[in-house]
Amino acid sequence: MNRFIVSIILLCTMAAGCFYSVYLTVNHTNELSSLVDRVEQCHTDGDDEKALEYAKQLESSWNSILHYSILINDLGHAMEITSCIAEISSFAEEGNDELYAACDRAQAQLDLFRQMQTPTLWKIL
Amino acid sequence: MAVVLIRAIILYLIITFSLRLMGKRQLGELQPSELVVTILISNIASVPVEDSSMPMLMGVVPILTLVCLDVIMSAVMLKFPKFRRLMIGSPRVIISQGVILQKEMKRLRYTVDDLIEAMHEEQIFDITQIYYAIVETNGKIHFLKKKDFQAAEKADISCGGSSDDPPAVIIRDGKEDTEQLQFMGLGMGWLHEQLREQQLSISDVFLMTADRNGKNTIIRRQRGL
Repeated sequence: MNRFIVSIILLCTMAAGCFYSVYLTVNHTNELSSLVDRVEQCHTDGDDEKALEYAKQLESSWNSILHYSILINDLGHAMEITSCIAEISSFAEEGNDELYAACDRAQAQLDLFRQMQTPTLWKIL
Repeated sequence: MAVVLIRAIILYLIITFSLRLMGKRQLGELQPSELVVTILISNIASVPVEDSSMPMLMGVVPILTLVCLDVIMSAVMLKFPKFRRLMIGSPRVIISQGVILQKEMKRLRYTVDDLIEAMHEEQIFDITQIYYAIVETNGKIHFLKKKDFQAAEKADISCGGSSDDPPAVIIRDGKEDTEQLQFMGLGMGWLHEQLREQQLSISDVFLMTADRNGKNTIIRRQRGL
C-alpha cells in the first residue's frame, strides 16, 4: 500500500511539474516573442536606440531562463536561440537591416521551443 | 565526461529506487507488463547517458512514470481480478491427468519442443511421469508428477527433523551477532559455554552457526590471517 501511495504522489508531482513547465514555457516564449516584435517595430520606425534597449532586455530575459530551458530542452536548441538573440543585439547596435532576418530566425526558434513543450495531439503522435 | 559520470550515478540511484519501488517480485518473475517496463527502463536510461546535450529529466521523468504506472496497475489488478486476467491472462493447463491437451498447446503456441525443454529443466525425462502441467502467466511451465514418481517427503516416512528453522550465523569473523542469538532463543551464556568447551574465545572463531536446538558448527580462524 505504501508503494501505491508513493507512486500516486510521485506521478501527481511529475504531472504537476510537467504541466507547470508547459505553462512557464508558453509564458516565457510569448514574452520573448513580444520583445522580438518590439525590436523589429522600433527598427522599422527608425528608433534604433529603443530597438537596442529592447534587444538588451530580450537578451537578459533569455539569459534569466536559459538554465530552465537547458533543464527541459535539448542543449543544442537552447544554444541556437541564444545565438539568434545575440545576433539581434548586435544588429540593433549597428542599426543593420539584417536585424529583420535575425528577428525572424529568433521567432521561428522560439515558436519551435514553445511547440516542442506543448502537448498537442500532433506532437504526441 | 564528468557530466556523463554524474548522470550515470544519478540514473543508477533512480533505477535502483525504481526497482525497489516495483518490489522484489520484479527481480525474480516477470509478468508481461513488468517485462515491458524493464526493457523500456533500460532503453530510456541509456539515452541521457549517451547524449549529454539531452536534459536528464527526459530520462528520469519517463522512467519514474513507467514505474509508478506499473505499481498503480499492480494495485488495481490486486483489487479487480477481472482486470488482472485481462492484463496478464490466467494460468493454462496443458497436461491434465496425464493427457496432453494439444488444442490448448496450439492455442498458446507452445510446441512439443518447448514442453520437452521445460520438462528437462525440471529434471523430468519421461512424459508419462507427468500428471499435470500448467503454463503460468509469466510463461513458465510447472509440473505435477504422478504419485508413483513423486519423491518421498518426511511426512510420508514419518520422520521428524531436529528443527524447522535453518541454522543462523552466530559469530562471523570473530564478532558475535547478538541479534541472531536472541532470534534463535540462545543467550550469551550459552555461547560462552559452547566456546569454553572447545577452549576458544569469540575472536578465535571464523564462523559459527547454530539452530534453535543449540546444534552448532564452529569453524576456527586460521592463524596468521
